[in-house]
Amino acid sequence: MANVATFEPGTAQLLMGNEGIARGALEAGIGFAAAYPGTPSSEIIGTLAEVAKEAGIYVEWSVNEKVALEAATAASFAGVRAIVAMKQNGLNVALDFLMGLGMTGTNAGLVLVTCDDPGALSSTEEEDSRPVAKWACLPLLEPATFQEEKDMTKWAFELSEALKTVCLLRGVTRTSHARGDVRIGESLPPNREAKFEAAVPLQYTSLPAPLKHGLAHQKMDRAREIFEDSPFNWYEGPEEPELLIVTCGSGWFYSLEAVEALGVEKTVGILKLGATWPLPEKLVRRRLARVEKVLVVEEIDPFLEGNLKELVGEDPAAVGAVKFYGKRSGHIPLSGEINPDIVTNALSRILGKEYEPVDADYAQKALGLTGLFTHPRMVGFCAGCPHRATFWSVKNALKMDGRGGFVTGDIGCYTMALGPTGFWQLKTAQAMGSAAGMACGFGNLGGFGFKQPVIAACGDSTFFHATIPALISGIYNRANYTLLVLDNSATAMTGFQPHPGTGVTAMGEPAPAIDIAAVCRALGLRVEVADPFDLKDTTKKLLDLIQDEGGVRVLVSRRECALVRARREKPAYRMRVDAARCIGESCGCARICTRVFQCPGLIWDAADGVAKIDEVICAGCGVCADVCPGGAIIREANQP
Amino acid sequence: MSPEIKGCQQLRAEVIDRDLCSLCGACVGMCPYLVAYKGRVVALDDCNISQGRCYAFCPRTPTDLDLVSDSTFGAPYDAGPIGTVKDVIMTRAAGDGVRSRGQYGGTVSALASFALEQGLIDSAVLTSSGPDILPEGTLVRDAAQVLGCARSNYVASPTLAAFNQRARGDDVRKIGVVATPCQALALAKMRASPLENRNNIDKLGLVIGLFCTWALRYQEFARFLSDRVPLGGISKFDIPPPPADVFQVFSDSREISIPLDDVRPFIRPACNICLDMTAEFSDVSVGAAEGVSGWNTLIVRSDRGRELVEAARARGVIEVDALPEENLNHLKEASLGKRKRGLSNIVKMSGSEDDLLYLNLSSDTRRTLLPE
Amino acid sequence: MKDKDPLNIIITGVGGQGNVLLSQLAGKALVRNGYHATIGETYGASQRGGAVMSHLRVSREKQYGPLIAQGQADIVLGLEPLEAMRVLAQYGNPDVIVVSNSRPIFPPAVSSGDAEYPTPEQIGGALKQLSRKAWLVDATDIALEMGAPILANIVMMGALVGTGLLPLGPELFETELAESLKRDRLDINITAFRRGLALVGDAA
Repeated sequence: MANVATFEPGTAQLLMGNEGIARGALEAGIGFAAAYPGTPSSEIIGTLAEVAKEAGIYVEWSVNEKVALEAATAASFAGVRAIVAMKQNGLNVALDFLMGLGMTGTNAGLVLVTCDDPGALSSTEEEDSRPVAKWACLPLLEPATFQEEKDMTKWAFELSEALKTVCLLRGVTRTSHARGDVRIGESLPPNREAKFEAAVPLQYTSLPAPLKHGLAHQKMDRAREIFEDSPFNWYEGPEEPELLIVTCGSGWFYSLEAVEALGVEKTVGILKLGATWPLPEKLVRRRLARVEKVLVVEEIDPFLEGNLKELVGEDPAAVGAVKFYGKRSGHIPLSGEINPDIVTNALSRILGKEYEPVDADYAQKALGLTGLFTHPRMVGFCAGCPHRATFWSVKNALKMDGRGGFVTGDIGCYTMALGPTGFWQLKTAQAMGSAAGMACGFGNLGGFGFKQPVIAACGDSTFFHATIPALISGIYNRANYTLLVLDNSATAMTGFQPHPGTGVTAMGEPAPAIDIAAVCRALGLRVEVADPFDLKDTTKKLLDLIQDEGGVRVLVSRRECALVRARREKPAYRMRVDAARCIGESCGCARICTRVFQCPGLIWDAADGVAKIDEVICAGCGVCADVCPGGAIIREANQP
Repeated sequence: MSPEIKGCQQLRAEVIDRDLCSLCGACVGMCPYLVAYKGRVVALDDCNISQGRCYAFCPRTPTDLDLVSDSTFGAPYDAGPIGTVKDVIMTRAAGDGVRSRGQYGGTVSALASFALEQGLIDSAVLTSSGPDILPEGTLVRDAAQVLGCARSNYVASPTLAAFNQRARGDDVRKIGVVATPCQALALAKMRASPLENRNNIDKLGLVIGLFCTWALRYQEFARFLSDRVPLGGISKFDIPPPPADVFQVFSDSREISIPLDDVRPFIRPACNICLDMTAEFSDVSVGAAEGVSGWNTLIVRSDRGRELVEAARARGVIEVDALPEENLNHLKEASLGKRKRGLSNIVKMSGSEDDLLYLNLSSDTRRTLLPE
Repeated sequence: MKDKDPLNIIITGVGGQGNVLLSQLAGKALVRNGYHATIGETYGASQRGGAVMSHLRVSREKQYGPLIAQGQADIVLGLEPLEAMRVLAQYGNPDVIVVSNSRPIFPPAVSSGDAEYPTPEQIGGALKQLSRKAWLVDATDIALEMGAPILANIVMMGALVGTGLLPLGPELFETELAESLKRDRLDINITAFRRGLALVGDAA
């Protein structure tokens, strides 16, 4: 990640949106940053963590998003500007505190960046986090350009202090994870005289509730006024357009390019809003009054669209008749991420203007040739991933046990065990900690004739994030299940961030490494620890545990993430296939290594009828040698 | 004509998932897909091969008894009451040592040990009872190890898995197997199979068959038993001859008798469609000698079997005596009784007299099999 | 095409191949030399063996959005041939230039037997049919020969620059490599870059 602390002010730098937000925070003089990793937000605090010492700030990976928000809020209360970042699911986790915070108010500037994942490219559900602004009476900003990522973030702290409330900044994958050139400004040092003073009783609470709620609404009135003049709202296009596009966030660039693609710059105007809640009402009404057709372009839910309609409804005479197009009319899909083509298509349909993205012959040829291979490339565990080995053992143990046992799933790389890469072992996966939560239910259905063994699978980072309370609930309520902790010593899916079990903080300081097995033992549980690469032992321990009736018991399947290991060490083994011993498609093997185990490091050479090691992909973990029934896969230990 | 050989998916659909598996172990130990675990054959993954050894060797997939018999005895199937017979005698191990370890006369242990000592075989696959009465096949090489497996086992054991696994190794060249009727049939199907890969069946040097009326499911029976006596201390089971009608359990703490009717619910359904009480596809078959305490009934079926018995007798390893006429008649009656029950159950299952599920029998054979 | 503005480049491959590094190196070099560069790409789950794309927009005039529209790619750089084919089908046009690595990464559907990977002839044919000019280069073989498969993406970077279609010459990209990489890795990366340069001809 970029060293955002040392950029020369005035230079242009290629920055990821999240890096721009981080730089904006430094230019605002933040002192405190906290987050839990979550795609597409992780780089915000990740970047700040890398430069924390240099910039003289404090940065932490909190155990979950609620704690992160609470910690950052404390900094704000004590007069230190703070930033907290999370993905949409993280916002859900922090919501209870956030709702209260909206009714409490803040001291020094506090900005909460929430990054949504339209299309759920790296999430288990698609969710628009913006409605929380309306719900909790908080101002909402949506950066549209890379410069705005930085500048808006910086300004958000000023806004937060002007309103004395937390300011929400919403990003999406295509703003947060995209890169663009940004002109750098001056950074500011943080306030080094932190002090907490609750001068007025209940000052830092949401009580009395009706009073504080009323005050929160007043803050929104003030925000409205401020937004009327904000440079982050702008209009481009003719003064009397035939159609007005109202957009925000990633929609800005797409709308611009759609108008260009159709050549309708003279008839279509674009109102780009940087502040989408509360709406700058006068500005919006002025623009709406000049048109009868409005296309709203935004990511995920018709939030802006709904709010615009509400605004019109409050005083229809002020804008005259307006027909809205957007997600509700079906011109922009209600789910999945938007892109330039979607906007172009919508515009083309509404204006009745034909558009051919590429000539018909080419399109025809392309269609024909894609028929050569139509399978999507499915994601899966990396070569050498310990999860593949763990789930191999889980599959075998549950099959042998024969009572219809199953696994409840959770959030992490191992969520991919919902699919073939993990042999379809996970059957549920909703939220952080829900594997153990659901096991509390499944584990107490014995009185209803339920006899199936239950395994709840969670990762090491997940364990600290949310599993612990659910685990305790299960112990207390005598639920009958086995907790399987997939401990790969990393928060892997989001970029290998450290966590309470890894012994190091976000800022690289040594930290007490909390041992998950020890925590479980301290809770009075039977705990086994296994190395997932030892397939026999892991299977045996699993069988033992799932057949040990009554209460909660634990298997910690512990081995480091293959990618983390690879950064440090060369492969443990050199792998090769002895073709003479490869049973292949014949009875006795039926290509189990490539057809069933499916490590990407193994390929099937149909011409020669043998399995081969893909030397580029193979991580040298050696597990496939134990899967091969013919002893054809040979592993030779590499010298360390 | 050799019956059609299908694959693992069909084995699961036709036998395992229909609960017709006898747990002989013939389909296990050859590949990573099928394993035996606590009394069940489990498919760990889906095998997609269209013709597999598992299907070919299973004693409950379509079987041509003439082909099998031809490959075992060089003659078509003898549908007589106790199958192919050269002689029926009474035997017992000489000397108290072996006899006291055996169930009745200790003949099986004596013959197996003798065959090993003489080098007729270099190893033997027997059934041993593990902790919690879970039995499994085991490879032994000497008399002491043979004696470790002495004792009748009433719980079905996937013993042939051990044959499949160990026959692969260079460390065994001639293997003997002590087999139940379904296991002996599976071995015979291996021998008769047109498949190229026959699990090194050419290393099979001797089959000592065991009389068997039925075998029990492990998990359910173990649970039932553990409510009455701790499994760990059990040393022996026995079913004394009628009219006793009990199942005896001997453990270091005590000896209990359970009404047979309480144990019958745990019989594997595969046994209800079995027509072979005396292990017809073996070199010799051994069982109790009814009413003659400490002696075995032994049926000699092949030349190899005859030579073995002769040599063992000549060496004073076993004692041989004539089997009383009455015993032979009872034996035939009992065997025919099992056949009758088995055939009746098969027809009940298939719904047709012409559909005998896994048995391809000519009508002549059928008639001889069950004389009116 | 050298003067096209914006210049739309798609770098595609399989998660883990290093397309992100490439797009960053190219982007930084361009920004350093006064161009606007926008890169759109996906991280996270797709990195676990899924298909990944980096959309790179280069302009003298202004900043563009992070996603290229259908049929608007000017250059497709494929770190993996099947992905190059897929990207071409969606973003290609009769004028697009393609440079692709020849070495397949077999998707799980192929290993499991559910699908057949197209033959090299089929892929080569498809790339040629869907472009103005296409090169299939053995970047992985070169990288293996040099002792590190991960260098394949730097070889590909060299090939991209070798087409002459980017507004910057090779020296400026080599400067960027020097800025971005550790001293002890620089020489081998420069060598890989130069070997890539030599693999393709001028396509301007």
